[in-house]
Amino acid sequence: MDTRTLLLELHCEEIPARFLEPLTQEFSEAFTKWAGEQKLSLATIHIDYSPRKMAWRMAGLPVSQADQTETQVGPPQRMCVDEAGAATQTGLKFAEKWGVDFSAVRFEQPAGKKEACAVVTLTKAGRPTLELLAEALPKLIAGLHVPKAMRWGNSEFAFVRPIRSILGLLGETIIPFEVDGVKAGNTTWGHRLFHLNRPEPVTVARPEDYEAVLLNAGVVVAFQERKARMLTQLEALATEVGGCVVEDEELANTLAQIVEFPRILRGEFPQSFLDLPKEVLVTSLKEHQKSFCIENAKGDLLPYFLTAANRPDDPEGFVQAGNEWVLRARLYDARFFVAEDRRTPLASRLDKLKQLTFHRELGSYFDKSERVTALVTSLATRLSNDAGHVQEAAQAAQVCKCDLVTLMVGEFPELQGVMGGEYLKHEGAPEAVWQAVKEHYQPISAEAPTPTTAMGSLLAVADKLDTVVGCFAIGQIPTGSKDPLALRRAGQGIVRILWERGWNLNIETLLDLSLAVLKAKATKPEMESREALLAFFRDRVAYQLEVAGYPGAARRSALATGWSDLTDLKARCEALSTFAEDARFASLAQSAKRIGNILKDETPVDAFDGAVLQQEEEKALAGTLGHLEATSDYPALLANLAELAQPLEAFFNSVMVKCEDAPLRAARLSLLQRLRNTFLRVADFSQWQ
Amino acid sequence: MHVQELILRLQRYWADRGCLVGQPYDIEKGAGTMNPLTFFGALGPKPWNVGYVEPSRRPGDGRYGENPFRVYKHLQFQVILKPSPAKVQEMYIESLEAMGIDLTKHDLRFEEDNWESPTLGAWGVGWQVVLDGMEISQFTYFQQVAGIDCRPVSAELTYGIERICMFLTGIDNIFDLTWGEIKTDQGVFPISYGEVRHREEFELSAYSFEHADIELHQRLFNDFEKEGWRMVKDHGHFLAAYDQALKMSHTFNVLDARGAVSTTERPGVIKRVRDLACACAKAYLENETTKADAAQEVK
Repeated sequence: MDTRTLLLELHCEEIPARFLEPLTQEFSEAFTKWAGEQKLSLATIHIDYSPRKMAWRMAGLPVSQADQTETQVGPPQRMCVDEAGAATQTGLKFAEKWGVDFSAVRFEQPAGKKEACAVVTLTKAGRPTLELLAEALPKLIAGLHVPKAMRWGNSEFAFVRPIRSILGLLGETIIPFEVDGVKAGNTTWGHRLFHLNRPEPVTVARPEDYEAVLLNAGVVVAFQERKARMLTQLEALATEVGGCVVEDEELANTLAQIVEFPRILRGEFPQSFLDLPKEVLVTSLKEHQKSFCIENAKGDLLPYFLTAANRPDDPEGFVQAGNEWVLRARLYDARFFVAEDRRTPLASRLDKLKQLTFHRELGSYFDKSERVTALVTSLATRLSNDAGHVQEAAQAAQVCKCDLVTLMVGEFPELQGVMGGEYLKHEGAPEAVWQAVKEHYQPISAEAPTPTTAMGSLLAVADKLDTVVGCFAIGQIPTGSKDPLALRRAGQGIVRILWERGWNLNIETLLDLSLAVLKAKATKPEMESREALLAFFRDRVAYQLEVAGYPGAARRSALATGWSDLTDLKARCEALSTFAEDARFASLAQSAKRIGNILKDETPVDAFDGAVLQQEEEKALAGTLGHLEATSDYPALLANLAELAQPLEAFFNSVMVKCEDAPLRAARLSLLQRLRNTFLRVADFSQWQ
Repeated sequence: MHVQELILRLQRYWADRGCLVGQPYDIEKGAGTMNPLTFFGALGPKPWNVGYVEPSRRPGDGRYGENPFRVYKHLQFQVILKPSPAKVQEMYIESLEAMGIDLTKHDLRFEEDNWESPTLGAWGVGWQVVLDGMEISQFTYFQQVAGIDCRPVSAELTYGIERICMFLTGIDNIFDLTWGEIKTDQGVFPISYGEVRHREEFELSAYSFEHADIELHQRLFNDFEKEGWRMVKDHGHFLAAYDQALKMSHTFNVLDARGAVSTTERPGVIKRVRDLACACAKAYLENETTKADAAQEVK
């Protein structure tokens, strides 16, 4: 088959970095779908993007659609031709309908028909791909879902940023189409620097030349290539000053998205700024200047930074000097903020929190602090007998939100918590207290670490619990994709911390404590909120089990018998996982289901007289009960249960449980009931599959 | 490079590119966008190109003249091009060259930065223009002004004069910039930015943070509002009313710097300014339509 590569490039004014990947991806998917509909084969799609370009190379497109034949079946032969063999009115009409002469009509018996019918075979000529593309590309481009679409000039066309030139080639042929008045051609623009003294665009004769032509014009068009170049330079420049880069994947991606030709520069800042907390420096450098920090082996920062320039060189050192100049200004500001903030003790800001709304219905951050303090106090009391410990936890909770009204957090909201901790440390607060405040927003994402200290974990749990339970209590429950207050993330954070800490805190108890503290704010009936919260947390726990890597059968059956005591759940899952592959468990699951079915409408008592049992199979089972019920650790219990698979099968094969003899029947039911209860101590095996 | 030379070059450049050279508007304001030349100019279908310098007051940014980078009042050079030309980025880049920036030696980037002014009910998308790591301009395609879709769309370019000047000279204290030179019979005397403005920074910072009479400003805010609505509602005088909206906006900024606006009140107060500004915009457009209809009838 004669195939070509399609090269499409939209050359725009600078496209926001965050849209490049999703938009190029979406277009590829839309194009693939379209090609499928057109019956055009497509071998590979190669995506490129740079700040001003989104480009696709679709390889292996045939030059035209294949001719397509289709068969149309009409009325029976007897209606189409008369006895003399001449065409009837009906026959002629059928031919006319499909635009053929009657002589092209055949008569044959199609599958599913009882007699011969009129049949025509139509051939639809495939259209040239070039033509199809010219029609489809404008629609596919306009059909992209641009998150923050804009208009420009006089046009009604909306896109991510103004389109200034379009490169559209199928092989070496220009695809004749236009978008918002911009005609596709075989030229594009290189780096701005390249065009400073070259007012003409560059020509791309063939799709295969694309990368080379652009490289020659100062643009590394492949994202991964730019990133790889950057990473190599970053490492080399950090090593030169005896340190290594404070890694930041997000920043590396952003930089590779906002330059067309990356060149990493190392700059220096005055040593004196190293007095600032490390987080302040790292955040300030990242957010303001898109720069990396360099640290030594001990994790201390060095007075250098690394950033990417959008050009291959720095001929007069202006770029480095400029970046250093700006960074000094930024750090000067940061120092001003820290110094200003330190002039007043953190706790004295509590009053200001009264004016900072946490949530319209749930009150101010002051109200929240009060609730979190109450919650932390009762949680800490449950976990520790040390009054000093409890008192410190309450102290941390009281001031944990105070940094929200500091200048530094006003400037960098992502430093919330961190600044509070730093300021408390500076004020000489106990280490447990400032550490707790510092880490109480953690984990900030599913991958991010949980708090390192126990008190930090406790405060993190209480703070998130207040948010989640508070929102449920006023009916703000996440649904589907709607979770504006990120309650799922908060809930997952709580579960993760409890899971990792292995604390003896029951989630149900936690919810009740929190609901009690929030009573005054609640607008929904408590039972309703409680039920919704239980369902919500059960999902979070289920996800935690999945993340922990337990097999599906173990997770489902363990969850079904209780989930709010995480330490117990963990022990059961651990034990169950070792049996996940054991074939005896499949049989055990069958038996569990049968027991469940038999006991469905029964209410047997636990006690029974073993003496009335008659058959060997049931006596054998009854004999194991005592040992089973006395086994308290899960691995041993499961090992015993596994041994039970065989006897149970034998029991069901030969014993008729619901027999006529009433005492015997009662004893058998009780036996099964006791067995089931033993099963349920570790898992609901009817869910084991 | 002197401060005044920079302004002169920008005025010359944009006049040569077909812009009117406008003047700052004589009411306190936080940004050049609030000048009626932009606020009303960006509305409606008529082509409109204008450039002007605008002293912009931000009471919360006052640092008593002690901070080398932040000031209560700075100068913006503002350009409006309606409809936005196809080569607007190139025009902007040439303006940098006109200011004396040799782009063969510098690093220029357009980084996403979308602009929004809740007080004016305006928003747009665009970039901050970053030169060697420093933000030197804001570049915005206006999408809405006063809650009204912009048709056609204007490009707004805003240059931070002092920043660019500091950058070009390598001077890292704003007050050490040279405003210009005066020539007298006794000789030539360079005048620093500090000589022209330092005392003003000190006094106006102190005023914003310490001395401004809160009750008076609260009263003023209410009175300006009442006066504004009276003018636009009873008389259809949107320019007179818009002056009141500008005064409300500045009064709010003073109150905010004094710490007299709580976080919860803030959106409500901003909305009061926006409502008046939006009413002015509506009245302006109605008046434009009436004018156009009348012209049609004369023909």
